[in-house]
Amino acid sequence: MITATGITRTFRQRGGVLAGREVQALRGVDFSIAKGGAASFIGESGCGKTTLGRIIAGLESYDGGEIAIGGTPMTPLKPKQRQPHFRKIQMIHQDPYSALNPTRTIHQTLQAPLALRARQTGRSKQWMEERAAEVLSLVGLDPGSVLSRYPHQLSGGMRQRVVIARALTVDPEMLVADEAVSMIDVSLRLGILALLKDLRERLGVAVLFITHDVATARYIGDDGELFVIYRGQVVERGPVDTVIADPVHPYTQSLLSAIPVLHGLEEPGEQPVVPLESLDESRADAGCLFARRCPFRSERCESELPLLQVTDGVPQEHACFHPERRSVIARPLSGV
Amino acid sequence: MAQPETAPPQTAPAPVPAPVTPAPGVRIDGLTVVYKTTAGELPAVRDVSLTLEPGSITGIVGESGSGKSTLALSLLNAVQPPGRIAAGSVEIDGLGDVVGLAGERLRKARGAHIGYVFQAAQNSLNPLKTVGKQLLDLGRSHGVDDLRGLVREAKELLGRMGLDGARVLDSHQHELSGGMRQRVGIMLALVLNAHLVVLDEPTTALDMITQANILKIVREVHAERGLTTLVITHDIGVVAEVADRLAVMYGGRLVEQGPTREVLHAPRHPYTRGLIQAIPRLVGDIDEARALPGRPPTLATVPKQGCVFRERCALRMDICETDDPAALADGPRIVACHAVGVKERA
Repeated sequence: MITATGITRTFRQRGGVLAGREVQALRGVDFSIAKGGAASFIGESGCGKTTLGRIIAGLESYDGGEIAIGGTPMTPLKPKQRQPHFRKIQMIHQDPYSALNPTRTIHQTLQAPLALRARQTGRSKQWMEERAAEVLSLVGLDPGSVLSRYPHQLSGGMRQRVVIARALTVDPEMLVADEAVSMIDVSLRLGILALLKDLRERLGVAVLFITHDVATARYIGDDGELFVIYRGQVVERGPVDTVIADPVHPYTQSLLSAIPVLHGLEEPGEQPVVPLESLDESRADAGCLFARRCPFRSERCESELPLLQVTDGVPQEHACFHPERRSVIARPLSGV
Repeated sequence: MAQPETAPPQTAPAPVPAPVTPAPGVRIDGLTVVYKTTAGELPAVRDVSLTLEPGSITGIVGESGSGKSTLALSLLNAVQPPGRIAAGSVEIDGLGDVVGLAGERLRKARGAHIGYVFQAAQNSLNPLKTVGKQLLDLGRSHGVDDLRGLVREAKELLGRMGLDGARVLDSHQHELSGGMRQRVGIMLALVLNAHLVVLDEPTTALDMITQANILKIVREVHAERGLTTLVITHDIGVVAEVADRLAVMYGGRLVEQGPTREVLHAPRHPYTRGLIQAIPRLVGDIDEARALPGRPPTLATVPKQGCVFRERCALRMDICETDDPAALADGPRIVACHAVGVKERA
C-alpha cells in the first residue's frame, strides 16, 4: 500500500540563540506497509516518530527519500496531484478532545467530509445519511444515540471512536494513529486498540501506529512490524513479538526496562538496562547516536555510525556494533 | 509497610534513615466533597476514609472523573468553589483537622507542612520568571528569613535529583525538558521542608525512561527525607513501582484498598480486577486482556443510590441497585462490594 525509502527531514531553528542550527528529525527511514498490514513506531518524544506520521499523512514535507502510495511515487507530482493519494491516508490524533469541533453535533461533523465525497461521486443526501450511520456502527457506536450529540456529551473513548469514524468516511486505505490511546481512560484503551485491529481485519485498512507505550503496539496485531526509532534513526526493527521478547539494541532494551513492573503479578527482567543520563544529546554526531547514553559503548561507537543491518543469529535488523540479547522485560510470576 | 521477601533489589525501598522531623500520619474520615452544578450539589468524593501511615507511600488510582484529584486537593483544604468539603475530616499530625483551617494558618500549613506537586507540573511554572526567582517568591511569601539558605537547599535538592542546581535556577521554564520541570516541581514542594507530599499525576506526559527516572527519584527522596507521600495517578504501573499501599477510586468512592502487591496479586473488587485486566502488557496472551464495558461515570451520571460501579459490573445483584456497599475491612484489605461480602460469608 505504501513504501517509504530513505525519508529524511531536517528542521532549521529560526531565531533565538540557536538560530541556524539544524535538527535532523529523520535520518533515512525505510519501511513499507501492505494492504491491511501494520507497522508500529516506538520511541521517546522528539525522536521523530510524529514527524514521520505527519509526512506519511501528507501534512508535512520531506526533504529526501521517496514515498510511493499504491506504487505511485509522490516526489514528481505537484501538490495538487498528490492530494487524492494522500487522502487515502487518514490521521488519528492523540487528543480526541481537541480533534472535534465542540459546536457541531456528531451528525454535522460527519456530514462535512461525506458531502465532499457525495459531490465527487454524484451520490445523494440519502446516501450521506446511511453512510454516517454505517461508519458509526463500524466503530462500535450506536448511531441513533450518538448522531445528535455534541462532543462534550461523549467520553474520551467515544470521541476517539467518532474521530476514527470521521476518518472512515473517505474510505481510507491506511490510518496513521499518533498516540491514539494515550489520552483515553485506561479501562477503555484496549477497546480502541481492538477497534483498530478489527478495522484491519474487516476492511483491510492498514495501520501506522505511533506510540511511546511499547505494550500497546502488540494489540494492533501480532503480524505487525515494530520499528524502534531514536533521534531520527531506526535502531531496531522486526516482528513485534520478536523485538519485545528478544531486543538486541541497548536503546530498545532501555525503553523496555523502563516499563513499570506490576509487582505482585510480575517479576522484573534479570538484566534491566538503565541508560546513562545525558543532558546534551545534540552534539557529537560522528558515532552511534545512542553512544552517549549507552552503558555498553566501545571506542568504535564514538567514531562510527552503525547502520541498520542483519547479523548472524539475530532475527531482527538492528543498528548496533554490539548486539546482545538481554532479558529485560517483566515476566508473569508463576502461579498468577 | 512490610515488603514481601521476594522483593527484587532494584525496587525495594532503601532503608529509611531516622528522619529529623518525623513523617506525619494522615487520617481522612468520612470525607465528602460536593460541587455546585445546575442540577444541585453533586458529590465528587463521597464518604471516603483513608489512612496514610507515617513514612508510607500511598497510591490512589482512578480514571478521569473518579474524584482522585479532588480528594488530593482536600488534603490542602484547597477545593475551589463551586466545590466545597461537605462532610468529614482530614487529620494531619502536627496540624490537626485541616478542614477547619482557614486564612493565614491554612496558607502557612501549605508549603511548610504539605508539599504539592501539581498535575502537569511541567506547565505549572511561570514562563516569564526564572526558576530561581520563583523560588525566592515562594520563600518570601512563606516568611523565610534565610533566603540564601533556601537557595542552597534548592540546589542541593536539584543536585540530588541529578540536575545542575545553579543552571536550573537560572533557567526559564522553556529551557527545561519535561522531566527536568517535573523535578523542579518536586524541589519546590520539598524546599520548605514539608514532610507530607502529594504528587498529582507525577509522570503523565513523560516518556517511559524519564518516568522511570522520576519514580526512582520519588522513592529515594521519600526515604531519605522521611516523608509521607501520596501519589495520585491513572496508571496502575506507577503505583506498582512506588507505593506500599494502593487505593482504587471509582465514581467518587474508594472501592478497594490494601498493600499494593496483595491487591495486584489478588484484586477483590470487580472494578480493580477489570482495570488490571485492561492494562496492555508486554507479556502474556493478548486475547486475555479486555477493555471494561461501558464508561466511567461523570459527576452528572454517577448513580445517586446503590453501588457506583454496578452498570459496568459482571457480578451485579439486586441489592447493588439500592444499597451502596459499605467499605469492609479484612485485615489490611478494605473492599466495598456486595458480591465480595457474599462470597466471604458463604
